[in-house]
Amino acid sequence: MSTTAPAPDRLAVLPVTGEPDLWCTYAAVRTLSWLDRAGRTPGLESTSEFIRGRRNPDGGYAWSRGMPSDAWATFYCTSTLADLHQPLPDLAGTARWLDSSWSGDAYAMTPGQQPEVWATHFATRTMVEVCAADVPDADRLLSWLGALQTRDGGLTWTPEHAVAGDADVRAAYYGLAAWRALHSRHPVPPPWNVAALLRWLRARQSPTGAFRFDADADTDCMWATYRAVAALGLLGARPAIDPTGWITARRLPGGGFTRWSGYPVADVWASFCAVGALRWIGELPPGTADAVERRIAELSCAGGGFTYREPALAADALTVAATVLASDGRDAAGLRRWLEHCRLPNEGGIMYMPGRGAEIRCTLWALAAGAFAGDPATGAAIGEWLTRLHNPDGGFGCWHGRGSDLVSTAAAVGVAELTGTRMVDAGRVAAYVGGEPPSDGLRPGLQTARILAWAGHREPRRVSALLDAHRVSGGGWAARGNRMPDLLSTYEAVLTADRFGIAVDAAPLAAFLARTACGDAVAWSPLAPAGTDPLARCLHRLLRRRVADPAFRPPVLVLS
Amino acid sequence: MNSSTSTNEIQDRIRAVLRRTIGDPVDGLPPDTDLATALGDRYDSLTALECIVAIESAFGIEVDFVAQDVRYWFATIDRMTTFVRDQLEDRASLGSAG
Repeated sequence: MSTTAPAPDRLAVLPVTGEPDLWCTYAAVRTLSWLDRAGRTPGLESTSEFIRGRRNPDGGYAWSRGMPSDAWATFYCTSTLADLHQPLPDLAGTARWLDSSWSGDAYAMTPGQQPEVWATHFATRTMVEVCAADVPDADRLLSWLGALQTRDGGLTWTPEHAVAGDADVRAAYYGLAAWRALHSRHPVPPPWNVAALLRWLRARQSPTGAFRFDADADTDCMWATYRAVAALGLLGARPAIDPTGWITARRLPGGGFTRWSGYPVADVWASFCAVGALRWIGELPPGTADAVERRIAELSCAGGGFTYREPALAADALTVAATVLASDGRDAAGLRRWLEHCRLPNEGGIMYMPGRGAEIRCTLWALAAGAFAGDPATGAAIGEWLTRLHNPDGGFGCWHGRGSDLVSTAAAVGVAELTGTRMVDAGRVAAYVGGEPPSDGLRPGLQTARILAWAGHREPRRVSALLDAHRVSGGGWAARGNRMPDLLSTYEAVLTADRFGIAVDAAPLAAFLARTACGDAVAWSPLAPAGTDPLARCLHRLLRRRVADPAFRPPVLVLS
Repeated sequence: MNSSTSTNEIQDRIRAVLRRTIGDPVDGLPPDTDLATALGDRYDSLTALECIVAIESAFGIEVDFVAQDVRYWFATIDRMTTFVRDQLEDRASLGSAG
């Protein structure tokens, strides 16, 4: 893992979607807003439309159109619309949706999940700052936030994490920002030993002036620097060493900032973090605002919204891994090396977009595509990272500190299998799955069965019954019921059947694949439009290969 | 039964079913209009599935999502009408053969 590696775009001709991304769009617009230039946002109207399209009828917002609402996406969408001075539809509905993710003590990312500090921060700030409303119970939330403090003074993801430690600068910022939002409506002192928290935050600073996420991190980081400077600022304090010199040294000739020393890409998050940190410290150095605005304009997408770098070069790990998997490995060496460059400092997993944060699901796809094949040392390091993400409830969330969910836990088990790590406590994982309320639908059942089998509890009869219940007579499997087959459910059905030694009838599977193909284009279901989505093409290609070669075993891949 | 009258009746009933699922925008649509183009997100694959299930229920037919090209047959009101009419005729001929 190195930040001095060649720029990823020099390694191969990359498949890119050219699509905007919500996280990038929020970062771009908020940075322009901080610079008092939001009114000059490129494609302001189409960017607003891109955001509005994520609103669900339940009042929340989703990362992508058609996905369920979540607290993080809701904060990003409402904040971006506010920064762009656009009307915010039905804020009462948004507040009601936020109420549905309230656990009794704090907020979960989606209704029914366990609360954690990422979700609590985004939901609390949306409720207070955007909806101008109260959280359901300020006293209980304050008490929950207070329980985030670890013995060494830092803040962590949940009160349960605090028992083991695992403090992180991001958790400190999110906890403090949630308290600050509460404080703005009900003045209350911070619910922590502030002196210990200040000591812990200041101990994260390097002699260079930059900060790191935690005591184990070994590389100075712009994201950590912004969050630490802001956390100190929320407590009315400043860093012991002025980080301005380190931050401004991260500027590339094009004007944007980079996240680490030696990293070659000025992505949107690094500029967001640099400007955010510089605002807390004082004034921006002369010329910074113009240069950052120019760089952000380069990241705007043709149809509105932004991505993390120039759209023609903005590849992501899922698309690249899918392209490799669909290619049967032909000409894939360069793409695999690109995936390996998505493993960056301080986090052992692979990032969806390089420079963002390591995610379990992307790590699974990259490993399945052959990244780090024949590199047991990196496999072991990824296994170690995985254990760090193992939540106290026994499950896994999509990245560090996120609440557990079945898809991420299934992906984590897939990563454990591919890396051969034995460090993950299978008993705790099985306990999480066993403790979850039974989900209806095919994929949750299949994911549960695979997780339990990995933990030593194989139940082939249960899998057979599940497959029978959702098998569509004409071909394929349905996510719910047995009428409308879809590609993702069919893929998981086939790979799970194979792993449990359950026969798959090739003829109806072939009929389903024929119905969802149109030339080179592939559809997610018989009713969806056929297109060139790389993930759909990947799953379709792997299933076609399975039909042609009954001995072929499709790799474990999960999406939702 | 006069076949053109029957086709009109089928189309009217289909419009009524679609109106219950999609709402008023169905009323002014010419029968050969592509619904996904005209209605955008209001006729995405999930809504189309709801409409198909409602039409199945209204006419007592069953659609095979793999053997039949549902994306083609449920793209316009005209095609839905033809599809339903053919299904009803098939059923009638099977019934009389029995």
